[in-house]
Amino acid sequence: MRRDFGPYPLWLRCWHWGNVLLFVILLITGFSMHFSSLAPPPVTFRTVVLVHNTAGILLTLFYCFFLFGNLLFGNARYYLITADDIAPGMLRQASYYLWGIFLGYPHPYPHDPHNEERKFNPMQKMSYLTVMFLLFPMLIVTGWALLFPYLLPNQLFGMPGIASWAVVHTYTGYCIFLFMIVHTYLGTTGATPGQLFGFMWSGVSPEPASTLRTPDSGERAGSHAQVTAQKDRP
Amino acid sequence: MRAVVAIMFLLASGMCIVGTGMAQTGGQETPCMQCHKPTDITIDPARFAQSEHGGFDCTFCHTTGFSKFPHTSTRAEMRDCMDCHKERKLARIAQAVKASVHAKKATKAFRCTNCHSPHYFIPASRIKDVSEEILLANESCLGCHAKGDTLADKDIDLAKKHDYLFHAELHLARTACVACHTSPEEQTMHLILPKSGAVRDCTTCHAQNSMLATKLYAHLALKERAQQGFVNAILFNNAYLVGANRNSWLDWGALALLGLLLFGVAAHGLGRWVFAGFRRRRS
Repeated sequence: MRRDFGPYPLWLRCWHWGNVLLFVILLITGFSMHFSSLAPPPVTFRTVVLVHNTAGILLTLFYCFFLFGNLLFGNARYYLITADDIAPGMLRQASYYLWGIFLGYPHPYPHDPHNEERKFNPMQKMSYLTVMFLLFPMLIVTGWALLFPYLLPNQLFGMPGIASWAVVHTYTGYCIFLFMIVHTYLGTTGATPGQLFGFMWSGVSPEPASTLRTPDSGERAGSHAQVTAQKDRP
Repeated sequence: MRAVVAIMFLLASGMCIVGTGMAQTGGQETPCMQCHKPTDITIDPARFAQSEHGGFDCTFCHTTGFSKFPHTSTRAEMRDCMDCHKERKLARIAQAVKASVHAKKATKAFRCTNCHSPHYFIPASRIKDVSEEILLANESCLGCHAKGDTLADKDIDLAKKHDYLFHAELHLARTACVACHTSPEEQTMHLILPKSGAVRDCTTCHAQNSMLATKLYAHLALKERAQQGFVNAILFNNAYLVGANRNSWLDWGALALLGLLLFGVAAHGLGRWVFAGFRRRRS
Protein backbone atom coordinates (compact mmCIF):
# COMPACT_ATOMS: atom_id res chain seq x y z
CA MET A 1 0.00 0.00 0.00
CA ARG A 2 1.42 3.43 -0.94
CA ARG A 3 1.54 5.99 1.80
CA ASP A 4 1.89 9.67 0.94
CA PHE A 5 1.57 10.52 4.59
CA GLY A 6 3.10 8.91 7.65
CA PRO A 7 6.78 9.13 8.60
CA TYR A 8 8.13 9.58 5.07
CA PRO A 9 5.56 11.49 3.02
CA LEU A 10 6.08 12.52 -0.58
CA TRP A 11 7.41 16.04 0.16
CA LEU A 12 10.06 14.63 2.48
CA ARG A 13 11.16 11.98 0.02
CA CYS A 14 11.34 14.56 -2.79
CA TRP A 15 13.48 16.78 -0.58
CA HIS A 16 15.67 13.85 0.50
CA TRP A 17 16.50 12.56 -2.97
CA GLY A 18 16.80 16.06 -4.44
CA ASN A 19 19.17 16.90 -1.62
CA VAL A 20 21.18 13.74 -2.36
CA LEU A 21 21.44 14.61 -6.05
CA LEU A 22 22.47 18.21 -5.40
CA PHE A 23 24.96 17.25 -2.71
CA VAL A 24 26.60 14.64 -4.94
CA ILE A 25 26.92 17.25 -7.70
CA LEU A 26 28.39 19.69 -5.18
CA LEU A 27 30.81 17.05 -3.91
CA ILE A 28 32.07 16.14 -7.38
CA THR A 29 32.41 19.75 -8.51
CA GLY A 30 33.86 20.77 -5.12
CA PHE A 31 36.54 18.04 -5.28
CA SER A 32 37.23 19.02 -8.89
CA MET A 33 37.83 22.64 -7.87
CA HIS A 34 39.87 21.74 -4.78
CA PHE A 35 42.14 19.27 -6.62
CA SER A 36 42.08 21.07 -9.95
CA SER A 37 45.65 20.11 -10.80
CA LEU A 38 45.50 16.41 -10.00
CA ALA A 39 43.44 15.43 -13.01
CA PRO A 40 42.20 17.89 -15.62
CA PRO A 41 38.43 17.61 -15.54
CA PRO A 42 36.63 16.72 -18.76
CA VAL A 43 34.75 19.99 -18.43
CA THR A 44 36.41 23.34 -17.88
CA PHE A 45 37.07 24.84 -14.46
CA ARG A 46 34.71 27.68 -15.34
CA THR A 47 31.87 25.23 -16.06
CA VAL A 48 32.61 23.36 -12.86
CA VAL A 49 32.37 26.59 -10.85
CA LEU A 50 29.13 27.51 -12.63
CA VAL A 51 27.57 24.10 -11.89
CA HIS A 52 28.79 24.23 -8.26
CA ASN A 53 27.32 27.69 -7.73
CA THR A 54 24.00 26.74 -9.32
CA ALA A 55 23.74 23.51 -7.34
CA GLY A 56 24.62 25.43 -4.16
CA ILE A 57 21.81 27.94 -4.73
CA LEU A 58 19.37 25.10 -5.42
CA LEU A 59 20.56 23.30 -2.28
CA THR A 60 19.74 26.43 -0.28
CA LEU A 61 16.22 26.46 -1.75
CA PHE A 62 15.86 22.78 -0.90
CA TYR A 63 17.05 23.48 2.64
CA CYS A 64 14.42 26.20 3.01
CA PHE A 65 11.85 23.73 1.66
CA PHE A 66 13.04 21.22 4.29
CA LEU A 67 12.68 23.77 7.09
CA PHE A 68 9.19 24.89 6.00
CA GLY A 69 8.11 21.29 5.41
CA ASN A 70 9.18 20.37 8.90
CA LEU A 71 7.22 23.21 10.42
CA LEU A 72 4.13 22.87 8.21
CA PHE A 73 3.73 19.10 8.22
CA GLY A 74 4.78 18.38 11.78
CA ASN A 75 7.97 16.51 10.91
CA ALA A 76 9.89 18.78 13.30
CA ARG A 77 8.57 16.82 16.30
CA TYR A 78 10.79 13.87 15.38
CA TYR A 79 13.87 16.03 15.97
CA LEU A 80 12.94 17.03 19.54
CA ILE A 81 15.37 15.53 22.03
CA THR A 82 13.75 13.60 24.86
CA ALA A 83 15.31 12.64 28.18
CA ASP A 84 15.49 9.06 26.94
CA ASP A 85 17.62 10.00 23.94
CA ILE A 86 20.76 11.05 25.78
CA ALA A 87 21.71 8.70 28.60
CA PRO A 88 20.12 5.34 27.93
CA GLY A 89 19.18 5.96 24.31
CA MET A 90 22.56 6.79 22.79
CA LEU A 91 24.30 4.06 24.82
CA ARG A 92 21.65 1.50 23.93
CA GLN A 93 21.95 2.33 20.23
CA ALA A 94 25.75 2.41 20.31
CA SER A 95 25.90 -0.97 22.04
CA TYR A 96 23.55 -2.35 19.40
CA TYR A 97 25.84 -1.16 16.59
CA LEU A 98 28.95 -2.38 18.43
CA TRP A 99 27.83 -5.93 19.19
CA GLY A 100 24.05 -6.41 19.24
CA ILE A 101 23.81 -6.19 15.46
CA PHE A 102 26.38 -8.99 15.10
CA LEU A 103 24.62 -11.26 17.56
CA GLY A 104 21.21 -10.76 15.99
CA TYR A 105 19.67 -8.81 18.85
CA PRO A 106 16.52 -6.89 17.97
CA HIS A 107 16.88 -3.23 17.09
CA PRO A 108 16.48 -1.22 20.30
CA TYR A 109 14.32 1.29 18.44
CA PRO A 110 12.59 -0.70 15.70
CA HIS A 111 10.82 1.17 12.97
CA ASP A 112 7.19 1.66 13.75
CA PRO A 113 5.18 3.63 11.17
CA HIS A 114 2.41 4.14 13.73
CA ASN A 115 4.63 5.71 16.36
CA GLU A 116 3.73 9.41 16.24
CA GLU A 117 6.55 10.44 18.57
CA ARG A 118 9.60 8.59 17.34
CA LYS A 119 10.90 8.02 13.86
CA PHE A 120 14.65 8.12 14.50
CA ASN A 121 16.77 6.17 16.93
CA PRO A 122 18.70 8.44 19.35
CA MET A 123 21.99 8.31 17.43
CA GLN A 124 20.14 8.98 14.20
CA LYS A 125 18.38 11.94 15.78
CA MET A 126 21.63 13.43 17.14
CA SER A 127 23.49 13.00 13.85
CA TYR A 128 20.61 14.45 11.81
CA LEU A 129 20.34 17.38 14.21
CA THR A 130 24.08 18.04 13.86
CA VAL A 131 24.06 17.71 10.08
CA MET A 132 20.81 19.50 9.28
CA PHE A 133 20.91 22.25 11.90
CA LEU A 134 24.64 22.87 12.33
CA LEU A 135 26.67 21.64 9.35
CA PHE A 136 24.19 22.50 6.60
CA PRO A 137 23.65 26.09 7.80
CA MET A 138 27.45 26.49 8.08
CA LEU A 139 27.89 25.13 4.57
CA ILE A 140 25.16 27.34 3.14
CA VAL A 141 26.24 30.54 4.91
CA THR A 142 29.90 30.13 3.92
CA GLY A 143 28.87 29.13 0.40
CA TRP A 144 26.81 32.28 -0.03
CA ALA A 145 29.62 34.36 1.42
CA LEU A 146 31.93 32.94 -1.25
CA LEU A 147 29.44 33.94 -3.94
CA PHE A 148 30.12 37.55 -2.89
CA PRO A 149 33.84 37.46 -2.05
CA TYR A 150 34.34 41.20 -2.46
CA LEU A 151 32.15 41.75 0.60
CA LEU A 152 34.43 39.63 2.80
CA PRO A 153 37.14 41.23 4.95
CA ASN A 154 40.60 41.41 3.39
CA GLN A 155 42.23 39.67 6.34
CA LEU A 156 40.84 37.25 8.91
CA PHE A 157 42.88 35.11 11.36
CA GLY A 158 46.08 36.08 9.55
CA MET A 159 44.81 34.79 6.23
CA PRO A 160 43.00 36.47 3.33
CA GLY A 161 39.35 36.83 4.38
CA ILE A 162 38.19 34.60 1.54
CA ALA A 163 40.54 31.82 2.70
CA SER A 164 38.96 31.59 6.16
CA TRP A 165 35.47 31.19 4.68
CA ALA A 166 36.68 28.81 1.99
CA VAL A 167 38.42 26.54 4.51
CA VAL A 168 35.29 26.32 6.70
CA HIS A 169 33.13 25.76 3.60
CA THR A 170 35.36 23.03 2.18
CA TYR A 171 35.78 20.99 5.33
CA THR A 172 32.17 21.38 6.46
CA GLY A 173 31.18 19.91 3.10
CA TYR A 174 33.73 17.17 3.68
CA CYS A 175 32.23 16.34 7.10
CA ILE A 176 28.81 16.01 5.46
CA PHE A 177 30.41 13.72 2.86
CA LEU A 178 31.71 11.50 5.70
CA PHE A 179 28.23 11.56 7.23
CA MET A 180 26.79 10.45 3.87
CA ILE A 181 29.06 7.41 3.81
CA VAL A 182 27.96 6.31 7.28
CA HIS A 183 24.34 7.24 6.54
CA THR A 184 24.38 5.11 3.37
CA TYR A 185 26.03 2.21 5.16
CA LEU A 186 23.54 2.27 8.04
CA GLY A 187 20.80 2.30 5.40
CA THR A 188 21.76 -1.32 4.78
CA THR A 189 20.91 -2.36 8.34
CA GLY A 190 17.22 -3.06 7.63
CA ALA A 191 15.74 -6.55 7.42
CA THR A 192 17.45 -6.77 4.01
CA PRO A 193 20.25 -4.47 2.78
CA GLY A 194 17.92 -2.71 0.34
CA GLN A 195 14.80 -2.52 2.50
CA LEU A 196 15.36 0.93 4.00
CA PHE A 197 16.41 2.42 0.65
CA GLY A 198 13.19 1.11 -0.90
CA PHE A 199 11.25 2.58 1.98
CA MET A 200 12.86 6.00 1.55
CA TRP A 201 12.23 5.86 -2.20
CA SER A 202 8.62 4.65 -2.20
CA GLY A 203 7.38 5.67 1.22
CA VAL A 204 5.93 2.18 1.62
CA SER A 205 6.56 1.08 5.19
CA PRO A 206 8.59 -2.08 5.64
CA GLU A 207 7.00 -4.84 7.65
CA PRO A 208 7.52 -4.20 11.33
CA ALA A 209 10.58 -5.94 12.75
CA SER A 210 9.94 -9.54 13.70
CA THR A 211 9.89 -10.32 17.34
CA LEU A 212 13.36 -11.53 18.07
CA ARG A 213 14.43 -12.75 21.45
CA THR A 214 17.01 -10.82 23.39
CA PRO A 215 19.60 -12.90 25.25
CA ASP A 216 18.11 -12.20 28.63
CA SER A 217 14.51 -11.26 28.10
CA GLY A 218 11.51 -12.34 26.19
CA GLU A 219 9.73 -10.47 23.43
CA ARG A 220 10.29 -6.75 23.25
CA ALA A 221 7.28 -4.70 24.08
CA GLY A 222 7.89 -2.39 21.12
CA SER A 223 8.12 -5.25 18.67
CA HIS A 224 5.06 -6.81 20.13
CA ALA A 225 3.16 -3.59 19.75
CA GLN A 226 4.13 -3.49 16.10
CA VAL A 227 2.86 -6.99 15.46
CA THR A 228 -0.43 -6.07 17.10
CA ALA A 229 -0.68 -2.93 15.03
CA GLN A 230 0.05 -4.90 11.88
CA LYS A 231 -2.76 -7.31 12.65
CA ASP A 232 -5.17 -4.48 13.31
CA ARG A 233 -4.46 -2.78 9.97
CA PRO A 234 -7.18 -2.96 7.36
CA MET B 1 102.47 60.58 -28.59
CA ARG B 2 99.66 62.87 -29.63
CA ALA B 3 97.46 59.85 -30.22
CA VAL B 4 98.14 58.51 -26.69
CA VAL B 5 97.31 61.92 -25.17
CA ALA B 6 94.14 62.12 -27.22
CA ILE B 7 93.05 58.64 -26.07
CA MET B 8 93.80 59.45 -22.40
CA PHE B 9 91.86 62.71 -22.73
CA LEU B 10 88.87 60.90 -24.20
CA LEU B 11 88.93 58.22 -21.49
CA ALA B 12 89.22 60.81 -18.74
CA SER B 13 86.35 62.88 -20.12
CA GLY B 14 84.21 59.72 -20.47
CA MET B 15 84.86 58.75 -16.84
CA CYS B 16 83.95 62.25 -15.80
CA ILE B 17 80.64 62.03 -17.62
CA VAL B 18 79.80 58.65 -16.06
CA GLY B 19 81.06 59.80 -12.68
CA THR B 20 78.86 62.87 -12.81
CA GLY B 21 75.90 60.86 -14.04
CA MET B 22 76.16 58.22 -11.37
CA ALA B 23 76.75 60.67 -8.57
CA GLN B 24 74.17 60.42 -5.80
CA THR B 25 71.96 63.47 -5.68
CA GLY B 26 72.22 63.27 -1.89
CA GLY B 27 68.87 64.93 -1.40
CA GLN B 28 70.15 68.14 -2.94
CA GLU B 29 68.12 69.79 -5.63
CA THR B 30 69.67 69.16 -9.03
CA PRO B 31 69.87 72.04 -11.52
CA CYS B 32 67.05 70.43 -13.49
CA MET B 33 64.69 70.61 -10.53
CA GLN B 34 65.13 74.35 -10.27
CA CYS B 35 62.78 74.59 -13.25
CA HIS B 36 61.05 71.20 -13.11
CA LYS B 37 59.32 71.80 -9.78
CA PRO B 38 57.33 68.78 -8.57
CA THR B 39 53.80 69.05 -9.86
CA ASP B 40 51.25 66.53 -10.98
CA ILE B 41 52.67 66.45 -14.49
CA THR B 42 56.36 66.18 -13.72
CA ILE B 43 58.35 63.48 -12.00
CA ASP B 44 57.50 62.78 -8.37
CA PRO B 45 60.90 63.28 -6.67
CA ALA B 46 59.97 61.10 -3.69
CA ARG B 47 59.01 58.15 -5.89
CA PHE B 48 62.03 58.74 -8.09
CA ALA B 49 64.32 58.63 -5.08
CA GLN B 50 62.84 55.25 -4.11
CA SER B 51 63.24 53.83 -7.59
CA GLU B 52 66.15 51.78 -8.87
CA HIS B 53 67.43 54.79 -10.81
CA GLY B 54 66.90 57.19 -7.91
CA GLY B 55 70.63 57.57 -7.35
CA PHE B 56 71.28 58.91 -10.82
CA ASP B 57 71.40 62.50 -11.87
CA CYS B 58 68.84 63.50 -14.53
CA THR B 59 71.59 64.17 -17.05
CA PHE B 60 72.82 60.61 -16.84
CA CYS B 61 70.00 59.63 -19.19
CA HIS B 62 68.98 63.05 -20.49
CA THR B 63 72.44 63.49 -21.92
CA THR B 64 72.71 66.27 -24.50
CA GLY B 65 70.85 69.44 -25.32
CA PHE B 66 69.59 70.14 -21.80
CA SER B 67 72.02 72.87 -20.84
CA LYS B 68 70.07 75.56 -22.67
CA PHE B 69 66.43 76.51 -22.77
CA PRO B 70 64.48 75.59 -24.80
CA HIS B 71 66.09 72.14 -24.76
CA THR B 72 67.18 70.95 -28.13
CA SER B 73 67.47 67.27 -27.28
CA THR B 74 65.47 64.66 -29.11
CA ARG B 75 64.60 61.27 -27.73
CA ALA B 76 67.07 59.64 -30.08
CA GLU B 77 69.84 61.53 -28.35
CA MET B 78 68.89 60.24 -24.92
CA ARG B 79 70.61 57.28 -23.34
CA ASP B 80 68.76 54.06 -24.11
CA CYS B 81 68.07 51.33 -21.53
CA MET B 82 70.12 48.86 -23.51
CA ASP B 83 73.17 51.13 -23.28
CA CYS B 84 73.56 50.02 -19.67
CA HIS B 85 71.41 46.86 -19.38
CA LYS B 86 73.28 44.43 -21.54
CA GLU B 87 72.72 41.23 -19.57
CA ARG B 88 71.89 38.03 -21.43
CA LYS B 89 68.42 37.91 -19.83
CA LEU B 90 67.55 41.23 -21.40
CA ALA B 91 68.39 39.83 -24.82
CA ARG B 92 65.69 37.20 -24.25
CA ILE B 93 63.30 39.91 -23.09
CA ALA B 94 64.06 41.99 -26.19
CA GLN B 95 63.32 38.93 -28.33
CA ALA B 96 59.99 38.40 -26.52
CA VAL B 97 59.02 42.06 -26.92
CA LYS B 98 59.71 41.87 -30.67
CA ALA B 99 57.31 38.92 -30.91
CA SER B 100 54.70 40.59 -28.71
CA VAL B 101 51.56 42.34 -29.87
CA HIS B 102 53.02 45.62 -28.64
CA ALA B 103 55.91 45.51 -31.10
CA LYS B 104 53.69 44.30 -33.91
CA LYS B 105 50.95 46.89 -33.47
CA ALA B 106 52.86 49.92 -32.21
CA THR B 107 53.24 52.59 -34.85
CA LYS B 108 56.51 53.86 -33.40
CA ALA B 109 59.38 51.76 -32.13
CA PHE B 110 58.22 50.12 -28.93
CA ARG B 111 60.66 50.89 -26.12
CA CYS B 112 61.19 49.52 -22.61
CA THR B 113 60.12 52.85 -21.21
CA ASN B 114 56.66 52.51 -22.74
CA CYS B 115 55.87 50.12 -19.90
CA HIS B 116 58.72 50.44 -17.39
CA SER B 117 58.91 53.99 -16.15
CA PRO B 118 62.62 54.71 -15.81
CA HIS B 119 61.79 57.20 -13.06
CA TYR B 120 59.81 54.84 -10.84
CA PHE B 121 61.07 51.38 -11.77
CA ILE B 122 61.65 49.04 -8.84
CA PRO B 123 63.22 45.65 -9.56
CA ALA B 124 61.33 42.52 -8.54
CA SER B 125 64.04 41.62 -6.02
CA ARG B 126 63.12 44.68 -3.95
CA ILE B 127 59.38 44.02 -3.91
CA LYS B 128 58.17 42.54 -0.67
CA ASP B 129 54.76 41.17 -1.50
CA VAL B 130 52.44 40.26 -4.33
CA SER B 131 50.04 43.18 -3.81
CA GLU B 132 52.84 45.69 -4.27
CA GLU B 133 54.09 43.93 -7.38
CA ILE B 134 50.62 43.83 -8.94
CA LEU B 135 50.05 47.51 -8.24
CA LEU B 136 53.32 48.50 -9.89
CA ALA B 137 52.97 46.11 -12.81
CA ASN B 138 49.38 47.04 -13.63
CA GLU B 139 50.07 50.76 -13.36
CA SER B 140 52.04 50.65 -16.59
CA CYS B 141 49.32 48.70 -18.44
CA LEU B 142 46.46 50.89 -17.23
CA GLY B 143 48.18 54.01 -18.51
CA CYS B 144 47.14 53.01 -22.04
CA HIS B 145 44.65 50.16 -21.70
CA ALA B 146 41.69 51.58 -19.81
CA LYS B 147 39.27 54.31 -20.68
CA GLY B 148 38.30 56.89 -18.13
CA ASP B 149 39.78 59.85 -16.34
CA THR B 150 39.59 58.46 -12.85
CA LEU B 151 40.72 55.13 -11.49
CA ALA B 152 37.08 54.26 -10.73
CA ASP B 153 36.09 54.93 -14.37
CA LYS B 154 38.98 52.78 -15.55
CA ASP B 155 37.88 49.98 -13.19
CA ILE B 156 34.36 50.03 -14.64
CA ASP B 157 35.71 49.98 -18.19
CA LEU B 158 38.05 47.08 -17.43
CA ALA B 159 35.37 45.11 -15.57
CA LYS B 160 33.17 45.34 -18.69
CA LYS B 161 36.01 44.06 -20.87
CA HIS B 162 36.65 41.15 -18.51
CA ASP B 163 33.06 40.18 -17.72
CA TYR B 164 33.71 36.55 -18.73
CA LEU B 165 35.59 36.17 -15.43
CA PHE B 166 33.79 35.29 -12.20
CA HIS B 167 34.12 38.32 -9.91
CA ALA B 168 35.91 40.36 -12.57
CA GLU B 169 36.62 43.25 -10.18
CA LEU B 170 38.44 40.95 -7.77
CA HIS B 171 40.45 39.34 -10.53
CA LEU B 172 41.45 42.74 -11.88
CA ALA B 173 42.36 44.17 -8.50
CA ARG B 174 44.36 41.17 -7.35
CA THR B 175 45.98 39.85 -10.51
CA ALA B 176 48.72 41.25 -12.69
CA CYS B 177 47.47 41.90 -16.22
CA VAL B 178 50.44 39.93 -17.58
CA ALA B 179 49.26 36.82 -15.72
CA CYS B 180 46.67 36.22 -18.44
CA HIS B 181 47.97 38.43 -21.21
CA THR B 182 51.30 36.67 -21.73
CA SER B 183 52.05 33.20 -23.00
CA PRO B 184 52.15 30.75 -20.03
CA GLU B 185 55.03 28.86 -21.66
CA GLU B 186 57.18 31.96 -22.06
CA GLN B 187 59.27 32.77 -18.99
CA THR B 188 60.15 36.44 -19.42
CA MET B 189 56.54 37.69 -19.13
CA HIS B 190 57.25 40.09 -22.00
CA LEU B 191 55.55 38.21 -24.82
CA ILE B 192 52.30 40.12 -24.55
CA LEU B 193 49.60 38.31 -26.49
CA PRO B 194 46.78 39.86 -28.53
CA LYS B 195 43.39 39.93 -26.81
CA SER B 196 42.30 36.78 -28.64
CA GLY B 197 45.32 34.90 -27.28
CA ALA B 198 44.80 35.79 -23.62
CA VAL B 199 44.81 32.85 -21.21
CA ARG B 200 41.27 31.71 -20.49
CA ASP B 201 42.03 28.39 -18.86
CA CYS B 202 41.36 29.11 -15.17
CA THR B 203 43.57 26.22 -14.04
CA THR B 204 46.63 28.06 -15.30
CA CYS B 205 46.43 29.87 -11.96
CA HIS B 206 43.78 27.92 -10.03
CA ALA B 207 45.89 24.80 -9.57
CA GLN B 208 48.58 23.48 -7.30
CA ASN B 209 51.22 24.16 -9.97
CA SER B 210 49.76 27.64 -10.34
CA MET B 211 51.61 29.70 -12.90
CA LEU B 212 51.39 32.61 -10.46
CA ALA B 213 53.64 30.84 -7.97
CA THR B 214 55.88 28.99 -10.40
CA LYS B 215 56.48 31.87 -12.79
CA LEU B 216 55.00 35.26 -12.06
CA TYR B 217 55.82 35.44 -8.35
CA ALA B 218 58.51 32.74 -8.32
CA HIS B 219 61.02 35.21 -6.90
CA LEU B 220 58.66 35.90 -3.98
CA ALA B 221 57.75 32.22 -3.56
CA LEU B 222 61.41 31.46 -2.90
CA LYS B 223 61.31 33.86 0.02
CA GLU B 224 58.22 32.33 1.60
CA ARG B 225 57.63 28.64 0.95
CA ALA B 226 54.81 27.80 3.30
CA GLN B 227 52.42 29.50 5.62
CA GLN B 228 50.24 27.50 8.00
CA GLY B 229 50.45 24.48 5.69
CA PHE B 230 48.91 26.17 2.68
CA VAL B 231 50.18 25.25 -0.76
CA ASN B 232 51.40 28.31 -2.73
CA ALA B 233 51.17 30.38 0.44
CA ILE B 234 52.91 33.27 -1.25
CA LEU B 235 49.65 34.06 -3.03
CA PHE B 236 48.17 34.61 0.43
CA ASN B 237 49.83 37.99 0.45
CA ASN B 238 47.15 39.05 -1.90
CA ALA B 239 44.31 36.58 -2.34
CA TYR B 240 42.97 33.07 -1.88
CA LEU B 241 42.78 30.97 -5.02
CA VAL B 242 40.57 27.91 -4.96
CA GLY B 243 42.58 25.01 -6.37
CA ALA B 244 45.91 26.75 -5.75
CA ASN B 245 45.78 27.33 -2.01
CA ARG B 246 44.98 23.93 -0.59
CA ASN B 247 46.03 23.26 2.99
CA SER B 248 48.09 20.10 2.88
CA TRP B 249 47.74 19.40 6.64
CA LEU B 250 43.97 19.54 6.47
CA ASP B 251 43.92 17.49 3.27
CA TRP B 252 46.06 14.72 4.73
CA GLY B 253 43.94 14.75 7.91
CA ALA B 254 40.78 14.52 5.83
CA LEU B 255 42.20 11.64 3.81
CA ALA B 256 43.23 9.79 6.99
CA LEU B 257 39.74 10.29 8.42
CA LEU B 258 38.16 8.97 5.23
CA GLY B 259 40.47 5.95 5.28
CA LEU B 260 39.59 5.17 8.91
CA LEU B 261 35.89 5.59 8.21
CA LEU B 262 35.92 3.35 5.15
CA PHE B 263 37.94 0.75 7.05
CA GLY B 264 35.46 0.89 9.95
CA VAL B 265 32.44 0.61 7.67
CA ALA B 266 33.99 -2.26 5.69
CA ALA B 267 34.98 -4.12 8.87
CA HIS B 268 31.51 -3.60 10.38
CA GLY B 269 29.81 -4.81 7.21
CA LEU B 270 32.08 -7.83 6.97
CA GLY B 271 31.43 -8.62 10.64
CA ARG B 272 27.67 -8.49 10.08
CA TRP B 273 27.95 -10.81 7.10
CA VAL B 274 30.18 -13.33 8.92
CA PHE B 275 28.03 -13.37 12.08
CA ALA B 276 24.84 -13.67 10.04
CA GLY B 277 26.39 -16.75 8.40
CA PHE B 278 27.16 -18.26 11.81
CA ARG B 279 23.64 -17.61 12.99
CA ARG B 280 22.13 -19.18 9.88
CA ARG B 281 24.22 -22.33 10.31
CA ARG B 282 23.32 -22.60 14.03
CA SER B 283 19.61 -22.25 13.36
